Amino acid sequence: MFRRISNFAVACAMVLTLGLTTAFAATKTTTIRVTGMKCNQCSSSVAKALKATAGVQEAEVSFEKGQVVITYDDEKVTEAKLREVINSTGFKVAE
Amino acid sequence: MLRAAVFIFVVVVLSHSALGQGVKAPSLTLKSIEGRTVRLSDYRGQVVLINFWATWCPPCRAEMPDLVKLQREYGKDGLQIIGVTYLPERQAHVRRFTQRLKVNYPIVIGTRETKARFSPDETLPLTVIIDREGTIRGSIAGILLPEEFDLQIKPLLQQRASERETNHVQKNK
Repeated sequence: MFRRISNFAVACAMVLTLGLTTAFAATKTTTIRVTGMKCNQCSSSVAKALKATAGVQEAEVSFEKGQVVITYDDEKVTEAKLREVINSTGFKVAE
Repeated sequence: MLRAAVFIFVVVVLSHSALGQGVKAPSLTLKSIEGRTVRLSDYRGQVVLINFWATWCPPCRAEMPDLVKLQREYGKDGLQIIGVTYLPERQAHVRRFTQRLKVNYPIVIGTRETKARFSPDETLPLTVIIDREGTIRGSIAGILLPEEFDLQIKPLLQQRASERETNHVQKNK
């Protein structure tokens, strides 16, 4: 009986670990420095354009720090694409 | 207590009426950068996008070529874009900039107050959508994305096109 329960527990743990690994494996967070973000009024376009990009889960813009923190699925979108999206909003990614 | 209730009431009323969805657009008469008088009422019957922008706003500058394309492509379907500068800018500067981009819709010199009459939103660019009956149907804060155009503006343009088709079919019967 004890053996059955322990086998079941091990199986559950394995399934759970596998599930969590799959769910989080592709999620990455990156911070990109952006030049020219001098007004709060216009920097919201950066977050908007990023959030509309497939694979982006979160994009938080700080015009005071001149940066954007992006959480994304790296199986769906690359960091190069994220930089391209930022540049398309009229601002420039700092090299 | 009464004061707080009145304040909340005023805020709620203002937030709904300061020109959100389903409200008649206020009258707008401004001078274009060519010195022409532009009245919003002149465009009744068309789907009007009032695009608030400024030369110092990078996303405003970035979206302008797309607005030029939309005006070119959907003008025949009744789309009319009007660009309104957000702050009083030097006309010569605005003129130089819009000439360089070959802007094909009127650009008028507005003020912060002009924008406030249409939306309390401080975001730039900001595009206010007005339907053919002159009713504000919403606003788009930030760069106008293609999917927003398809979802919010195209249906307004298609209304007249489908009406025209219906009339044509009825005439031919």
